[in-house]
Amino acid sequence: MESERIILHIDMNAFFASVEQQSNPELRGKPIAVIGAAKRTIITTCSYEARAFGVKTGMNSWQARQVCPDLIFVVGNNRKYTYTSTQIIMIMREYTPLVEVFSIDEAFLDVTGSLSLFGSAERISHLIKARIKEQFGLTCSVGIAPNKLLAKLASDMQKPDGLTIIAKDRIAQVLERVPIQDLCGIGAKMHQQLSKFGIKTCGELGRFPVEVLKRNFGITGERLHYMGLGIDDSPVVPDEEAEEVKSVGHSTTLDKDITERQDILRYLLQLSEMVGRRARKYKVAGRTLTLTVRYADFTTFSRQQSGSCHTNNSEDIYKAAVQILQGIELTQPIRLLGVKISSLSSHTEQLPLFPAELKKALIAGAMDEVNNRFGDFAVTFGSLLGRDSGSKVISPAWRPEGVRNVDVE
Amino acid sequence: MQRFTEKIRVAAIFAPGCQVRPVWFEWRSKKYAITEASYFWKDYYGDASRLHFAVSDGSNMFELMFDTSDQNWTLEGVEES
Repeated sequence: MESERIILHIDMNAFFASVEQQSNPELRGKPIAVIGAAKRTIITTCSYEARAFGVKTGMNSWQARQVCPDLIFVVGNNRKYTYTSTQIIMIMREYTPLVEVFSIDEAFLDVTGSLSLFGSAERISHLIKARIKEQFGLTCSVGIAPNKLLAKLASDMQKPDGLTIIAKDRIAQVLERVPIQDLCGIGAKMHQQLSKFGIKTCGELGRFPVEVLKRNFGITGERLHYMGLGIDDSPVVPDEEAEEVKSVGHSTTLDKDITERQDILRYLLQLSEMVGRRARKYKVAGRTLTLTVRYADFTTFSRQQSGSCHTNNSEDIYKAAVQILQGIELTQPIRLLGVKISSLSSHTEQLPLFPAELKKALIAGAMDEVNNRFGDFAVTFGSLLGRDSGSKVISPAWRPEGVRNVDVE
Repeated sequence: MQRFTEKIRVAAIFAPGCQVRPVWFEWRSKKYAITEASYFWKDYYGDASRLHFAVSDGSNMFELMFDTSDQNWTLEGVEES
C-alpha cells in the first residue's frame, strides 16, 4: 500500500535551446536548433518555434532544413548548460533535500515533508518556477502527483511552462484514456508488444489480467499492471543515497570513419586517459574492461575482458583495450569507439610494491596534479598532443556531483 | 557566433556578493558600452574559475570571459546583427 506522498517532477522546457535564446535575445521567438561542435552532428534539441515546423531531436541538419528552411543552427555550449542545471538543482534543494536528478533537465522532488514550511505543493512549484524564471529567464513544466510515475506523466501534459496536478482521487479518471507510451518506462518495443494484446491505454493496461501479463513479461508483467493503475512505490533517491556507480566509461563519435590502426589506437589512448583520470579523481578502480565499437553502418558491439587486479591507470586501461582490439577482426570503418571499466572497487591509496608499477603510479599522480591545476590534457601522452580532447556530449547519466559529473568541453 | 580568444580591456563593477558586472570594453581600438547582460555562467579550467558573460552593446552580441586566476578578460565571441 502506498503511503501518502507528494512528488514533483520538474522538466525544463527545450532546455539547451531556451538557454541559447536567453543568451542571445536575437534568437527569442525564432526557430533554433542546438547542434554539436563536431563535424558529424545531429540536433540535440530545438526551440518550440522549430518544433512547430516538425524539427525533432536526432535529425541531421539537412533533414531539419527540409522541414524548416529558416531554422537557425546554434553550436551548443555544454558548460553553459551544466552550470545552469547545477544552479537550478541548488534552487530545488532549498525546498527539499529529497531531489533526484533524472537528467540534466529533469528532476523529481519529494516535498511531502516540506509542506509545513512552504504550504502546498502548488505553492512550492510556483516558487521554484519563479526563481528559475527570474534567475535564468527559463520556463519549466511541473507535474504534481502522489508518485514519480504520475508526476512525470503530469509534467508532460502541459508544455511549455505548465503546472499539472494529478490528485489521488482522479488517478483512474486521468489514466483511462492516456496512451500507454506516454508512461515513463514503456518504450517503443514494449508498446508494440502490448499492442498485440489490444492494450492501447493505461485504463486498458490496468484492467488487463495481471496473470497474463506475468506469464508473458515475467516480473515486469506485474509492474506493468501497477503502472496501468498509476501505482508506483519507487522512492525519490537523492544523489548521496543513490547506488554506487557500476562503471566509468567514455565514448566518442569520430569526426570521420576511420580504418587505420594508428588512428584507432590514438582514440583508444585518449579515451583510456579520460576513463583513468575520472576513476582516479573519484578513487575507484575497475577489474573488467569493455571496448565498444560502432561501424559506419551503425552496427555496434562490445567485447570485454577481466584482469586479475583492479586498475585506474590509463596505460593499463589502454593496454587492455588494445588487447581486446587485437582479437577483433574489423570488417568496416569505425564510427564510434568506447572504453569502460567496471567491476569497480573503491580504491584506497596504496603505492605498488614493484619499481616499474610504482613509477607508473607516480607518473600518473604527477600528471593528475598538473592537469588538476592547468586543465585536462595540459600534460598528456605525446601521441595525443594537438588533438581535440575531452567529452563533447553531455551523457544522460550526467549528474551535478560525484563520479557521474563528467567535465564537458 | 564568430569565435575569438583576444585579451581585452574591460571596465567592470565588482558588487557585494561576488557579483561582477562588465560595463564597457575596448576591442580593436573601439570602445563598446554594454547595454544588456543577457546571460551568465561559470566554469573551471583546471583550478581556475572563469566567469562568462553574454552581453550586447545594443546592436551586436559579445561573449566576455573573466579568468579569476589571472584577472584577465578575454573576448570569446562576436555575433554581428
